[in-house]
Amino acid sequence: MIEAYANRYTYVLVAALVAIGLYILIASQNLVKKIIGLSIFQTGIFLFFITAAFVEGGSSPVIDGEGLYASPLPQVIVLTAIVVGVALTAVALALIVRIYSEYGTLDEETLREVRADE
Amino acid sequence: MISAFGAVLFVFILVTALAAAVLRDILAVIIISGAYSLGMALFYAFLLAPDVAMTEAAIGAGVTTLLLLLTVTRTVRQDHNRAIERPNVPALLVCGGFLIVLLMTVAEFPVVGDPAIAWDNPAITQYYIDNAYKDTGVKNAVTAVLAGYRGFDTFGEAMVVFLAGMAALLVLKRGVFTNE
Repeated sequence: MIEAYANRYTYVLVAALVAIGLYILIASQNLVKKIIGLSIFQTGIFLFFITAAFVEGGSSPVIDGEGLYASPLPQVIVLTAIVVGVALTAVALALIVRIYSEYGTLDEETLREVRADE
Repeated sequence: MISAFGAVLFVFILVTALAAAVLRDILAVIIISGAYSLGMALFYAFLLAPDVAMTEAAIGAGVTTLLLLLTVTRTVRQDHNRAIERPNVPALLVCGGFLIVLLMTVAEFPVVGDPAIAWDNPAITQYYIDNAYKDTGVKNAVTAVLAGYRGFDTFGEAMVVFLAGMAALLVLKRGVFTNE
């Protein structure tokens, strides 16, 4: 049982990171911190893809003759996803700056009250 | 089985992620998340993905941290009454349940890095490894796939970044739509 999990350590880390990211996303009252939770959730998923490419005793996918290489295909999709992720973070943070200049708060509860009063 | 270096990174990533969840001061959380990204980049390098590691170090630890810090300078670093977040019990229950369900599936996955079942789709992966240099003249298969085989996908990605930049500018610049 323990060994089965120790042999699949990256999947355990994926599960833990996704759960922590989700917790920050739900529980945090601060909008900026929610975005950080979102990016922790994302990196958990990226780790899942990178694990799928990993080969024990292989080398990184810089091809030099015959041999055992990590698969380049999941790595490329993660590269793309990291860049799209930062684009998403940038837009979210711009919206947060705008929300702050409009309502003067970054707290979710306060924001809800202010909007209810209007 | 995990090596000592991998185990240290595993613990480091887990501790920084938990610290980001627990700490309340937003500046502390941003710095911790930068450290988390760096740990993640090292873990990608450990898992034979140096290209992804460099991107994560430059974009995750660099650009994202910078954007977060810029946001804090333009908004507010809220109250400092408590250093630690109060636990949110319903959210903890939901995420704990989610974690347990995910952990139950872990034992069904293949062993990490097992060479016998290395790739999900060996024939296709082998094709790229055999032909990447022949087709594109680039020895790094990741670059060959990114800029060669999936060139249009990367073009679409550049479009996404451009549109995100435009959206951020439009959101930040007041009165673009209303002529205020």
